[in-house]
Amino acid sequence: MESFITFTNQSQGRDRIFRATQYACALVKYLLRKDSTRKELLQKLRSLESNMSSGRKLFRLGNTVNSIDAAKKTLYLSDPVLRLCLTVANINRALYFICDNVLWARSLGFLKGIDKERWNLNANRYYFFSLVMNLTRDVYVIAQLMVQRSRERQFQQKVNQHLNESPDVACVIIPQLDAFLFLLIESLKNHPAVALDTIKNACDLFIPLDKLGIYQTNAGVVGMCGLVSSLIGILSVLKTSLKMKP
Amino acid sequence: MESWVRFSAQSQAKERVFRAAQYACTLLGYTLQKGGAAAELLKTIKQLEAHLSLSRKLLRLGNSAEALEAAKRAVHLSDCVLRLCITVAHLNKAMYFACDNVLWAGKTGLLPQLDQNKWSQRSFRYYLFALILNLTRDAYEIRLLMERESRSISAKSSLASPSVLSPGPENGEFSPGFSAPPFPALPVLTARLQRQLHLLISVLRNNPPLLLDLLKNLCDLFIPLDKLDMYPTSPGFVGACGLTSSILSILTILYPWLKLKP
Repeated sequence: MESFITFTNQSQGRDRIFRATQYACALVKYLLRKDSTRKELLQKLRSLESNMSSGRKLFRLGNTVNSIDAAKKTLYLSDPVLRLCLTVANINRALYFICDNVLWARSLGFLKGIDKERWNLNANRYYFFSLVMNLTRDVYVIAQLMVQRSRERQFQQKVNQHLNESPDVACVIIPQLDAFLFLLIESLKNHPAVALDTIKNACDLFIPLDKLGIYQTNAGVVGMCGLVSSLIGILSVLKTSLKMKP
Repeated sequence: MESWVRFSAQSQAKERVFRAAQYACTLLGYTLQKGGAAAELLKTIKQLEAHLSLSRKLLRLGNSAEALEAAKRAVHLSDCVLRLCITVAHLNKAMYFACDNVLWAGKTGLLPQLDQNKWSQRSFRYYLFALILNLTRDAYEIRLLMERESRSISAKSSLASPSVLSPGPENGEFSPGFSAPPFPALPVLTARLQRQLHLLISVLRNNPPLLLDLLKNLCDLFIPLDKLDMYPTSPGFVGACGLTSSILSILTILYPWLKLKP
């Protein structure tokens, strides 16, 4: 119970649980959409999802300040690529939160004059840009890890052993691709935080891609991706070793 | 900005801010209604208040566990009165949160057949019991401190003038003086009351956490008293009390030394 309390005491922990529930509802709704006997359950899921979504919009009211503070911190990173990616990502997140706050006010009846569609579009755009920057950072970190690993003599011995032990397979699959994948997996094995962060950002990417019409999937895929990324987010809050730093 | 980030990271802190906003809306709505404002504005404020209330219920979804943990910790206190008051107060709060969670499920549509009125009354009853126990604890602490203060005053006065041997009114505050008549005259009563009041004020002035907790519980008391129809006031008064207690509670989060321990 202690760990549950410490977890839920963090604003972020609670928000991740609500997000996971929200996307789980969306997924189940999509899976049951054709089932006519489950109309009541669908109605309950719809109202639970909208309740979670509106509650989360309220809880996000102060997050612009958090993002600007994070951007100020990442401005002092030593690595220029990381500095650029993370600062721009945080600024885009701050802009996304501003749009989100305006949309919250609109949904309650304040600021009636604003164009809800345009602000929604902008919110999705800023969220999309921040995810792209985060993924760029992930790819850069993975590339660094791979270069570092490939220079290790121990690894070079390992890769030769791997390519030689199944020569038939190496002939069928392009040996360079096989070696590349082997290097990738070996690099990420010791850095689960990087792997989890990449998967989380990749899953999250499908949400604005669908909303902006760039790569339209369906509500089920969006729900599944949202659920997976929320679960990974919960893991990273529970086990701080799995959270990517900086 | 650093302090906001640290502050909002605590779930409880955010919930207090929303509570303050909710009761501010109640107060504002009542004031505007009395002042004859537009129906549109009143409707928006009422919507905001309902939204804040429901979202706070969502945010409180895990709080029963927290209250039970606090009750478990309070069982080990040394002072038996404090142990009783604080443990039972936390247990009542846990029951209040459980009823609150059921109400949330009802309002969201997960339990459509729920009698919301009945569960609302139930939750306010547990809240009222918890507040009464908190106030009892405050009164007990105040009494202990007043006794200590009066003993130290009498020790100082006996040191200052050692010839005074007979127990005078200063020494016999809490035990009836043997030389006191069964029905003391009115001036003696008023003098005694005045001394008690001075003692109370000095105790509260030297213990800001206790003063804050007492004020907070007193303000909070009017909310269930009004909702249970035991002492109906006006929505404006309830809003003002709720807003004051929320601000005091935010102060104890911002300045942890202001929180009454245990």
